[in-house]
Amino acid sequence: MMLSDEPYRWAEAVANRRDYIEDQIRTGSPVVGVGYEDGILLLTLSQSQQKVFEVYDRILLAAIGHSTDIEKLRQAAIDMAHSIGFNYSEDDVTLRQIVYFGLGPAMKAGFDDVVRSPFLARVLLAELDGQEGAQIFYTVDYDGAFYRHEGCVAVGGVVEADVMMVRELSGLDTRALSLSDAAGAALRAWAIGRWIGKMEEVPADADELEQVAGEVDVADVLATELVDLEVEAVVLGRSQLGKNKYRNVDAEEIAPALAQFIERSQ
Amino acid sequence: MQSGGDFVDLLRQTGYRFPGENLGDVQSERDLPFEPTDATTILAFQYADGVLVAGDRRATAGNMVLYDRADKVIDLDAYSVMAISGSPSIAFEIARILEHAFQYYRRRLLQEMSLQAKLRRLSLLIKDNLPMAMQGIGAVIPIFATYDQADARGKIYFYDALGAQFESADFTTTGSGSPAIRGAMYYLNRWSGRRFVEMDRDAAIGHALQLLDTASEYDSATGRYERSADIFPSVKTITASGLAEIETEELRGLYVQYVDGEEAGRA
Repeated sequence: MMLSDEPYRWAEAVANRRDYIEDQIRTGSPVVGVGYEDGILLLTLSQSQQKVFEVYDRILLAAIGHSTDIEKLRQAAIDMAHSIGFNYSEDDVTLRQIVYFGLGPAMKAGFDDVVRSPFLARVLLAELDGQEGAQIFYTVDYDGAFYRHEGCVAVGGVVEADVMMVRELSGLDTRALSLSDAAGAALRAWAIGRWIGKMEEVPADADELEQVAGEVDVADVLATELVDLEVEAVVLGRSQLGKNKYRNVDAEEIAPALAQFIERSQ
Repeated sequence: MQSGGDFVDLLRQTGYRFPGENLGDVQSERDLPFEPTDATTILAFQYADGVLVAGDRRATAGNMVLYDRADKVIDLDAYSVMAISGSPSIAFEIARILEHAFQYYRRRLLQEMSLQAKLRRLSLLIKDNLPMAMQGIGAVIPIFATYDQADARGKIYFYDALGAQFESADFTTTGSGSPAIRGAMYYLNRWSGRRFVEMDRDAAIGHALQLLDTASEYDSATGRYERSADIFPSVKTITASGLAEIETEELRGLYVQYVDGEEAGRA
């Protein structure tokens, strides 16, 4: 290949690829994951299109990016989980396997293959009561790099948004939080992530970034965004009967959390 | 364009082969170096709140009792069960495939599998098992019971060994003990003055226990309540609020009342 013959041009191609992907993703609606007393809550605001998905009995996936790319990754994760679950057992289906041996390598391969389109997606996965702990999250970036988180996590359009959202959530006692309080915290973090993702120029300086995050008018961001978007909230709840712990959270359950920020006229 | 919601396709891609595909030289039951295992009496009927499904706990191999704790009423999802008679090995495999197939379909295609499709999947799996059934070693004759949200009522389906599917209006029973109670079920439903569908939950469970006791009286392959080990039959109900297994304590109470005690002798 011409590109690999010339190391400089290869490096340049990779850098261009990063710029291209980041540019495509940055305006996506963030996804926030936070533990609560009964399990794990994933929350986002979406345009009536599902963004949080069931992978297996105790595993969820959400992502920001191109919907067809997300769809391919979602299906790959579901296929992997179900063939392990059938051929071994339900207990052998772990988020770690799906990330380490499934999504991570797939996204890395997609990113490295510079003559084909990469996955335009950043993925967040959650696992309830698995081998690694009660409230485990992984994020997989568009280049296949993955990170493990416990208790809370967030993925936004830019890395700076992730950092500020997680900072917002990090003081919480995620094992004791009520669903409503968890939803409130998630909405606040989401608004901060959304604001930073939409900035023309995200501050490079950490202090400056923190200051921006601290000054976000959460109520205003939510009120503006809720004109076009709807809250989508899904839980993995321990108290759900049966093996499958997935449950959509009703709008009424989220209403008190939203009311903290927005006085609803209707 | 393939939608990709078919779990059996996924299994085949990963190299899975159905038991019948691995038969090799076995031509008939006589060629087997062992007695195949059988599971015996299962029954289901409509009662006031939905459907009740019950089965004894015995698995046999020829005239030997192999196991007295077999659970033949297998959960497939929050509203469906498959009760099995025939070869437990194949039946458990089919139940496992179906359980994954229903979930896989919902997760992949983001919609619940329709009742008609669920019935069709089970029917196809029984047909796939035809080579085993033909050789007399792995026939599976299940009952599929579910609650149909759309129709707001419980539904019971039974199958023959070739996979033909029939919906039962009131009740059904299969397995080696079934001839002993099929007539009793008809009699109860037609002449006792109270049809199954009019029975409340307690009466339904009590009658299921009576019927299984009757089957065990005439069929040596059907287990009855094991006093020494305190093992009761499996009884499950499916109603609008989903599937529920009846706990041992409750079964014990109703057993005393309906089989041993005051209700006994009264239909």
